[in-house]
Order: sequence, then structure tokens, then C-alpha cells
Amino acid sequence: MKTEIEILQGIRRYITTSASMNNNELDDNMLIFNLGLLDSMGLLFLIDFIKEEYNLEVMDSELVEENFESVKNIASFVYKKLQNEINS
Amino acid sequence: MNTIKSPFSRNILKINDLESLCNMIVGNIQDSVLRILHRRGGVVGISGGIDSSVTLALTIRALGNKNVLGVIMPDADSSPESELFAQKLADKFNIKTILENVTPALEGFNCYQRRDEAISRVIPEFNPNTDKAKIVIQQNMNEDIPPVFSVVVITSDGKEMSRMLPAKEYLQIVAATNFKQRSRMSMLYYHAERLHYAVIGTANKHEVDQGFFVKYGDGGVDIMPIGKLYKTQIYQLAEYLDIPQEIINRTPTTDTYSAKQTQVEFFFQMPYELLDLVDYGWENDYEPTEVALILGKKEREIRNMYKNLERKAKTTDYLRMHPVFFE
Repeated sequence: MKTEIEILQGIRRYITTSASMNNNELDDNMLIFNLGLLDSMGLLFLIDFIKEEYNLEVMDSELVEENFESVKNIASFVYKKLQNEINS
Repeated sequence: MNTIKSPFSRNILKINDLESLCNMIVGNIQDSVLRILHRRGGVVGISGGIDSSVTLALTIRALGNKNVLGVIMPDADSSPESELFAQKLADKFNIKTILENVTPALEGFNCYQRRDEAISRVIPEFNPNTDKAKIVIQQNMNEDIPPVFSVVVITSDGKEMSRMLPAKEYLQIVAATNFKQRSRMSMLYYHAERLHYAVIGTANKHEVDQGFFVKYGDGGVDIMPIGKLYKTQIYQLAEYLDIPQEIINRTPTTDTYSAKQTQVEFFFQMPYELLDLVDYGWENDYEPTEVALILGKKEREIRNMYKNLERKAKTTDYLRMHPVFFE
């Protein structure tokens, strides 16, 4: 299983590419939707990315700020979900 | 110059002088159709809904009933009520109408097949011959996360199945259903061109500002007489213009999917009375605390509604853009 840091880097790469940003322009704590880096289609494409890259299905009940507001939160959400998959 | 803003209130959007507003819109229609566009009349697509009814009544006042054509364009998914109400409206205002069923054109585009194929990928049990389907927006207003859409299938025995739509299927469903508005636009321009008329759009302020229209579909028109009016103001005008009560009382629907779908569940996410006031508050820089107090909401809720409006306006800029020309 990937480490939380590896997942964070993967999410960072995805978001910088999607939002046409340089790596140094994105802070891991930036509120990506609040700041308009990703819009509603961006969220849908991100959900697709999580599915393809980590084989995880995001439930609509999981679409909350705690899981999706920043790179750090998304990485932590993905990491925990992967851990739960392994433990179940 | 400093202008003093009125305190926010529930009546802030109420039109006190309907006659003046009406005369102003009528004057604008005359100016734009006759003097700017150099057309001799107007074509209005009428659906039996409040917006197209008010637009029709205003256009008739401006151009005269002999110079206005109402086009009724149902398709296989339209409610029979729509055609009935549209005809009733046209009869009341004594205008000529043409009924154009756009189903064969949509079948030619494989509109239904493309849409149903995407729905079936998400809900394999979906049977397009017997079940009804719609898409609905899903968002928790307490969360600052953009909305996602779900597809809802209602089987013939009333069972409801709902699943979140992945990007690919969501885009295919929207792209396929947009054939409807674009086919209707083509039909309106056919009649407008053969009569040397202008196409009169029926979009209201929320639809224009938040991008609840199809680019080159219902957004493909020559003028938009009610494009600056809030929905509650359109209801006020409807009463003033003597629109039939059944139309005024009807819940605004999209009339686009086989299952009945209100505009609120598909897009706007809150009742019009609330949407109008929050939108006004946002556009006019009222503090969320002031708006929350008057509307009996939490400040955070109003803040998220403001963000939601801002996000929709921003993400739908593309719809309002003209083709990009290079120097």
C-alpha cells in the first residue's frame, strides 16, 4: 500500500495539472474549491481519478469539507479509506 | 457619490410600480426588435410555464398579437400539460401557434438512446421502455464543496433507485439531453427566418446568471426580455399581465427528463422565494449576518449559499461567452 506522503504527492500532481498550476503555487492546506482551483466538474474528475488511481469508490455521503477541502484532507481521506479496505 | 443601501428585508424585491416596469420592457422589445434587429415580429417558444408565458404577453404588448408567433415544441418526455397550457395561453392572447413535435428530430440525433445508454451504465436495471429517469443535484448546503449529480430511476411499480453520476456518464446525459434545447432553437429560427421575425428568449435572471440554459440551445436567441428579472418578480408580472392561474400555480419543471423533475431539485437547490433574496443579498454585498437574521437562517448557511451562487456564476462563464476571435 502507498504511504500517506506518496498519496499526497499523487493528489498534488493531479490538482496542479488539472488547475494548470506550478507545483510551488499549491499549498497542501489551500482550500481548493473555496479558492476556485477546481469546480464541480473538477470534483467529478477528481472522484474519477481516485477511483482509477487507488481503486476507491467515493460515496456521496463522503463529499464533505473534512475529506475534500484541501490536498492534505484528500490525501488523508484516501489513505484512511485504503487502510479500511485492507483491514476489512 | 455614496448611495445609501436600504436595510435588507423580505420585500426588497417587490415591484411597486408594475405598469412602469411593463412599459419599460415593452419599449425595450420594440426598440431591439424593430430598430436594432430590423425584424417585423417575434417568435416565442411557449411551454406552458411561467417564464415563456410572461415573455409572450410582454412581446404581444410590444409588437401586437398579429406579429407574434407561439411555437409549441413538445417531445416524447414532455408532460401533456405543457402543450395544453401553452395552447390555452395562446388562445387567451389570440395569437397564432404552431405545434412542432421535436421527437423525430431527437430520434434522428439518437438523443434518447445516447442518454439512456449512459443511465444504464450507472443503473443496469434501468429499462427505458418502462422506467422513468431524471437527474438531481446533490449538495449539503452546510458544506463548502461543489454539488454532484445523481441519476434517479423510477420503475413502473414505483420503486426508486438513485446513484451518484460519474463524470463520463453525467456529461453524456447532459450532452444528449441538450439536443432537445438545440433542436427547439433550430425550429424557432426556422419560423423566425421564414417570417422575418426575431427569436424572443424566455430565460430569467437566475437562468442567465447561474448558467441554467443550453449554449446555442435556449440560450440561442435574439433578445431576452425577462433576463434581468428575479423569479418572484416574474410571478408579480404574471398576475399583472393576467396570465392564466393554472400556469401561475404550476411548479416550474425542466420538462426535459421522463420523470418529473423540478427546477429546484435539478439545479437551483432552494425555493425561488429564498433564492431571489439570497441572490439579491449576494449581488448587492449585504452581510450574510444581516441576510441570515431576516431569513431565519444560520450565517454559515447564507455564506455557503453566497459561495454556491458565486461558484455557479463562475463555472458557467463559458456558456455566456461569445466565440473567441483572435487579433
